[in-house]
Amino acid sequence: MEHSKQPQYTSNEIKDTGDSSSVPNGHFDGLVKRPAGTVRTPVPQPPAAECVSHRPVNAVMESWREERTRSVEDNEMSLPSLAAAYTTILRGLGEDPQRQGLLKTPWRAATAMQFFTKGYQEKIIDVMNDAIFDEDHDEMVIVKDIDMFSMCEHHLVPIFGRVHIGYLPNKRVLGLSKLARIVEIYSRRLQVQERLTKQIAVAITEALQPTGVGVVIEATHMCMVMRGVQKMNSKTVTSTMLGVFREDPKTRDEFLTLIRS
Amino acid sequence: MEYHHDSEMKEVVAKYLNICIESKQNGLCKEEKDSKDSAGINKLPRIENAYTTILSELGEDVDREGLLRTPLRAAKAMQFLTKGYKEAPKDILNDAIFDENHEEMVIVKDIDLFSLCEHHLVPFFGKAHIAYLPNKKVVGLSKLARIVEIYSRRLQVQERLTKQIASAISEALEPAGVAVVIEATHMCMVMRGVQKMNASTVTSVMLGKFQDDPKARKEFLDLAIRK
Repeated sequence: MEHSKQPQYTSNEIKDTGDSSSVPNGHFDGLVKRPAGTVRTPVPQPPAAECVSHRPVNAVMESWREERTRSVEDNEMSLPSLAAAYTTILRGLGEDPQRQGLLKTPWRAATAMQFFTKGYQEKIIDVMNDAIFDEDHDEMVIVKDIDMFSMCEHHLVPIFGRVHIGYLPNKRVLGLSKLARIVEIYSRRLQVQERLTKQIAVAITEALQPTGVGVVIEATHMCMVMRGVQKMNSKTVTSTMLGVFREDPKTRDEFLTLIRS
Repeated sequence: MEYHHDSEMKEVVAKYLNICIESKQNGLCKEEKDSKDSAGINKLPRIENAYTTILSELGEDVDREGLLRTPLRAAKAMQFLTKGYKEAPKDILNDAIFDENHEEMVIVKDIDLFSLCEHHLVPFFGKAHIAYLPNKKVVGLSKLARIVEIYSRRLQVQERLTKQIASAISEALEPAGVAVVIEATHMCMVMRGVQKMNASTVTSVMLGKFQDDPKARKEFLDLAIRK
């Protein structure tokens, strides 16, 4: 791994000159290393949670609209090398890749992994653009118990759980399934639960400019259950409260009570 | 700067292609030389490189902070999840078989089980319920759970897993009957493909008296499965 690249990019440097094709998605550690022109496959960078608040508003909007995406053609092109990698793994684990049950496993595993990271193929803007409506409604809207499946970026093992989203519209409401689609786009990636929660909240904020957004995720991490410390019943709960959800304890209380019921 | 990145990219691409070819050649040779690789450590770098390839092919940036050591962690995790290959029932069962004049059913239920689907390399997990009718020989109770561990920490198919557990107990103890029931959720069905959240798969193997005598089977199912 080329560690020599690391010192060149500090958290204060923004390798962003306003040119939309090279705008990083707010992730400062490990910015776009390869300029747009020389890249064979686009490399999307999920935004780092802490950095969003420091950046100017229009740069944040740009990053939301300009997420780099993987394409279906990229998927097809990557499949042989992914399958070869999986064959190596099978051999490395001491299995016989030629036995009947494992013959097509590298291809199946490669396709499965591409499916588990299909969030990199989708853009928020495609999913949301048509479903924002002007509605004179300023009471809380909650969509809860959205099943979520993600992959732990540290161990490449599944994370699954439920997402509860609430927002206070400010004259604009969003189609309800679009909230679930936003969850899908961000969760079908290599993720860290804290970042996932923040990304969902920020995406809704940027699209609707509501008075407030609250996102709560409770999930089970297979990396903790199947291996390592092996605690079967443990759950991780993360939440992000923006706007009036953060400032007003009564609003937050209402949201938390309603998602619990 | 751009040239630097460009040539490095090409190096990385050339490297992993070589690794793919090398690993195929080495893999074949290694299997002939050492069929029993006692040091999984030897294989770790190869698995690590494979994971690095996978990460970059999926479109991720392998140099970003969160992914820097992921290939190593994922390789070790995978080795842990398949550690059952290195273990054999006779290693753990031999000391814990006792002569006991007991011929009534012994059930150990709700044994948490975690395995990997051999078709998609995605976890499946659930519970195993084991019962046996001793024939003068009983086994330490935790050993039943350890047998489950040995066979489940492999690339598995649920049907085969159930059968292997039943056969292992049968061979070691020669009991009058063995019954194993596994109910599991397959992530390959839940997270992808048909995406049915609540589906669970149940497989069972009944040997000896459990197969011949419906009353014994019923007793087991009532005690272990019915909540």
